[in-house]
Amino acid sequence: MRFSSNVSSWFNVRQELSPERRKIVGWASFLLPILLWCVVSYVPFIWHPMVVVQQAGDVDYFQTDMLVTREVFDEEVANMQNDGKKLPEGKAANPIYLPAPHEVAKAFYTAFTTEPAQKEGLWLHQSLWQSIQVIFWGFFISSLIGVPLGILCGTYSVFSRLFEPFIEFFRYLPAPAFGALMVAILGIYDGPKIAIIVIGTFFQQVLIISNTTRKLDYSLLEAAMTLGTNKFKLLWHVVIPGILPDLYRDLRILLGWAWTYLIVAELIGTSSGITLFITQQARYQHFENVYAAIFIIGFIGLGSDLMLAWLGKRLFAWNKAVNKE
Amino acid sequence: MFSNTSVSSLKKLMVALSVPLAMAYGNVTQAAEPLKIAYSDWPGFVAWQVAIDKGWFKEAGLNVKFEWFDYGASMDAFTAGKVDAVFVTNGDALVVGSGGAKNTMILITDYSNGNDMIIGKPGVKSIKDLKGKKVGTEVGIVDHLLLLDALQKNGMKESDITIVNTKINDTPQALAAGDLTAVGTFEPSASQALKLVAGSKPIYTSAQSPGLIYDVLAVNPASLSNRKAEWTKLTPIWAKVVAYINDPKTQADAVKIMSARDGTTPQEYTKFLKGTRLLNVDEGKAAYVKGDGLTSLYGSTANADAFNVKNAIYKTPQDINKYIDPLLYK
Repeated sequence: MRFSSNVSSWFNVRQELSPERRKIVGWASFLLPILLWCVVSYVPFIWHPMVVVQQAGDVDYFQTDMLVTREVFDEEVANMQNDGKKLPEGKAANPIYLPAPHEVAKAFYTAFTTEPAQKEGLWLHQSLWQSIQVIFWGFFISSLIGVPLGILCGTYSVFSRLFEPFIEFFRYLPAPAFGALMVAILGIYDGPKIAIIVIGTFFQQVLIISNTTRKLDYSLLEAAMTLGTNKFKLLWHVVIPGILPDLYRDLRILLGWAWTYLIVAELIGTSSGITLFITQQARYQHFENVYAAIFIIGFIGLGSDLMLAWLGKRLFAWNKAVNKE
Repeated sequence: MFSNTSVSSLKKLMVALSVPLAMAYGNVTQAAEPLKIAYSDWPGFVAWQVAIDKGWFKEAGLNVKFEWFDYGASMDAFTAGKVDAVFVTNGDALVVGSGGAKNTMILITDYSNGNDMIIGKPGVKSIKDLKGKKVGTEVGIVDHLLLLDALQKNGMKESDITIVNTKINDTPQALAAGDLTAVGTFEPSASQALKLVAGSKPIYTSAQSPGLIYDVLAVNPASLSNRKAEWTKLTPIWAKVVAYINDPKTQADAVKIMSARDGTTPQEYTKFLKGTRLLNVDEGKAAYVKGDGLTSLYGSTANADAFNVKNAIYKTPQDINKYIDPLLYK
């Protein structure tokens, strides 16, 4: 029975796991999808709807390494059998859109180590740096206006009534549709790209932050007012310190939002950054490179978020909600 | 209250500050901005990369800056007046112009010579086999035009088939999905479709209709009139580019430069180049002779104009003559 009690101890309702178990489960959350990917890629009978031709046999249009659907392949095998000709040979494969893990891992390495083919072309890390700068400025400008506005909306009803109805409306408008207009106003380089990220994040940001501000315990405000704090001092000395940890967490989530707009943003104006790499590689069906690039974005996103989380723990040491993460 | 001395020193300071400012401003307005040209990944446009990498613009004393765009984004940038010129098809030059960004086509780079194609799924042998079937292409763009041309030459009408609006980049997958009998698409999507659907074949290509789709340099008329002398310097450079690409001795180097710009391999690129008929200066000049047929840029553009109006891409027919100027071939 020791085993079963051991198993059930993993499933205690609303109880945190031991640090060691937390670590194991944390790794598993990454290992499981990778395992699934490996299974789909390497075990032939799981999916593999295509056949990669190894020997063309007497089929006139087959070539070595050509991918054909299983039906076409079976049909040609039957045809060749009927005609008494040489049979083609092939092995089961996945579509080109799903490269195997080892191919992507290799592409991940080669993408960084391959010299740009073009004279004055950019290395991958240089393209990435371009993208990171666009994200940074987009998010910085959005926050510069969005954070104060959100706090004001969450504190004073007059701001909330004045701004929020329109912002609620505008946040549904697709940011990329403003691309051509942004080019007309801001030119063809980084300006319009940054603008798309701002349009994509700003409106959500105001609403989320005003909501966070509204959640601040009203008794804190009452206490301060009873002690004679005026309405405006209240903002600086009670509201802002009160919401700061939550605000910080909101910004971390919103930063992820900014990344999702990067791919559209970089197609506006001159082609640049990691998007140029992804679209070009996709165009020529080098999907292992495409996935490698997507993972790079994932790693940067997660890495910066972990860093911010670590920083948050130190900045807001008193706050339980932040420290729990 | 300022004392006299402090006022005069303030004045001095202001003068001291404004002089270099004025000089800097003067410099900015005097030194000509480079001509900004938007280009994208069509072999006829990428060809200019050879001149860029070889430094031929500098040699000719011409200050130009080529900016790399997605095709659609390049038209947006031109429409917004952020670049002086853009490389487009003659039909798209009209589309851009109808939206207010009037332009002048001053140079032909090429016509599509096989890079645009109608691809039938296995078993489809000719355009006639498409009768009553579904064909996928992007409505309103060049391959739709090519499809209509193919139908017409086979004595058929647009209503004889069902057109399914399909983004060019999605045509390979759309054909593979099996619902469509054929797709109209261009390179590199065309090659991908042929690779993806084993046994599929091109049943009609732009090589069977030379001049249906010309690719041109469309210039902002204001820039053209202000800086005519600079624009005319492009002709000898283009002559050099075509010669360098067509010469078997230098072709490999040219293909290497072009494929690098495009992010593909030289082998892949050679195929795209074959489907593009680059026009040297004499051939370009010949296409600028007025005529009704597709061998003339005028005839081809009138054809594209009729197509655009019929497909409600814009409403009023454009005045073709205002869009075409053989300036560079004089």
